[in-house]
Amino acid sequence: MKRSLPLIITFLIGMFMIGEFFIPHYRYRVWTAEFLEWGLILAAAAFVLGFVNLIQVNAPKVARRDADWGYKLIMLVVMIVTMVAGFIAGEERSRVDNLYKWVYDFVFVPLNATMFALLAFYISSAAFRAFRARNLEAALLLGAAILVMIARVPAGESLPVVGEYLPKVMNWIMDVPNIAARRAIFIGAALGAVATGLRVILGLERSHLGAD
Amino acid sequence: MTARLLIAALLLISSAARAAAPATGLEVSAPPYNDGLNLDLSWTPPADTTGLMVLRSDQGPDGPWTVAAGPLPAGASSTTDKVTTDPRGSPPKALYWYRLVSLDSDSPLLILDEEAEDDAPAKAAWAAQLAASQGATASVEGRPQAALFNTSLGHMLLLGLILGVGGLMLWFTDQARKGAPMFIRRIPGIDAIEEGIGRATEMGKPVLYVPGIDELQDIQTIASMLILGQVSKTVAEYQTDIIVSCCIPMVREVADEVVKAGYYQAGYPDAYDPRNTRFLSSEQFAFTAGTNGIILREKPATNIYLGRFFAEALILAETGYVNRSIQIAGTAEATQLPFFVAACDYTLIGEELFAVSAYLSRDPRLVSSLKASDYVKVFLVVSLVVGTVAMSLGSDIVVRLFTITGG
Repeated sequence: MKRSLPLIITFLIGMFMIGEFFIPHYRYRVWTAEFLEWGLILAAAAFVLGFVNLIQVNAPKVARRDADWGYKLIMLVVMIVTMVAGFIAGEERSRVDNLYKWVYDFVFVPLNATMFALLAFYISSAAFRAFRARNLEAALLLGAAILVMIARVPAGESLPVVGEYLPKVMNWIMDVPNIAARRAIFIGAALGAVATGLRVILGLERSHLGAD
Repeated sequence: MTARLLIAALLLISSAARAAAPATGLEVSAPPYNDGLNLDLSWTPPADTTGLMVLRSDQGPDGPWTVAAGPLPAGASSTTDKVTTDPRGSPPKALYWYRLVSLDSDSPLLILDEEAEDDAPAKAAWAAQLAASQGATASVEGRPQAALFNTSLGHMLLLGLILGVGGLMLWFTDQARKGAPMFIRRIPGIDAIEEGIGRATEMGKPVLYVPGIDELQDIQTIASMLILGQVSKTVAEYQTDIIVSCCIPMVREVADEVVKAGYYQAGYPDAYDPRNTRFLSSEQFAFTAGTNGIILREKPATNIYLGRFFAEALILAETGYVNRSIQIAGTAEATQLPFFVAACDYTLIGEELFAVSAYLSRDPRLVSSLKASDYVKVFLVVSLVVGTVAMSLGSDIVVRLFTITGG
């Protein structure tokens, strides 16, 4: 029963949600919207479980003074302070000056920007490895990348002789081989998604159903 | 202080002194394959107007009126009106009446009380004035029609494809049960998963599994959960640890159940540790920082990134590279694939992500689904070739066949 019931529910709800695409009647969509709202409520409830999990994983490490316990302590303190500040500020938390907004504006946003900024350096190091011409494919990749990069900067267009052709070559690379490869990936992925969805809905795939 | 505000219609006033003629040929009809909430309006615009307002009544041809759309540009000749935005609380009526008003310099102005949150009486009075103005057409009625089934060519073809995949899956499953061999090509990236787990075991280090950062209902996350079931079973058999780093609390709960199931199926339920399936943060870069922390502090020997990734893909993969972990990634997110290809040892591209679960399990029923989607893929490739040839010859029949219409 523990396996059959989820399979039956998955099949019924799955077929119902597929039906939304083929049955345009608004009454049907009211029901699908209702199901999606149930999903949102479940997802919101799961945040409580996420909070509990963070405490369960980190608090014992702090208590035992495990390696790097200081980071975990900071994380727990900041989490609780932000949460309490948010509760105190209520619905106005993002609009008026308060501790929650201060934490958001002067701690969270700069830290977020810092993480995102790291991407520039990671792109450089990854590109350095990817563009080493070890074989024919990598050499082609390197050649295409150099052409696109030069054509994208203003200096590229002002190069003598080849300057006026570079944007055309870049556009061809981006619009023809690049788009063709992307579309092939999209079509394959879409079919894979349909097959995966059907495997789950039809109950052929059961590894997600948890322990017996 | 009660200030008065002139808005909207002011924008439309031109220097034209004479009254604009009403639009002609106003027609109201339900769009094909519609949800029953929309009506299409079309008309011939007058020459001397500065803009057009669409008025709607659900009571009768004489109002009361509400503004349904506008101001529309003077040359507009059609629009679609959504008769209700809340079909649950306010379902659509059986019949609606419309008037189209040509605006000119003499058109009444909307004057709102800026202290009132929603000055409904002023808006109703303005709509009544517009409906009575010289530029208004006679009332035309329209009946919303909700279609029970979208029978357009594109939808039927899509339904056929889904049924085709489903039917082929069941047929191949039946063939597999009868003992027919199910060939599946070798995918090095998937083979590397088991090698990576073996390496982690030899090094006495954990395996890190990241199921992407999207919600549970995303198909890539679902595929990742299915793979996690197989991976955790193998990890349990090898008697090593797996850390699952989750960005969405709901995904963590499901991942926890899936990992637990893997350990049970492998026969090592006692080895399962729920603290290794971790929710870090639902914020993208906070999650990235947390996962990077796991990579640098707990030093997993193998990192598996399977699911939907965005800007964090390269940050995670490069940190894993610095840690000298074996890295296997897979996503159908085309924008992130180049980063994974550059930074990881193996990358599963697009559809390969959806094949992993079947490949690892070797269950003929699951492998049969790959065979089914391959047959549909052949059909699509043939359609692409035929469509290209047909378009080159001036026929758009294949394009129309694949066009999705209706709501």
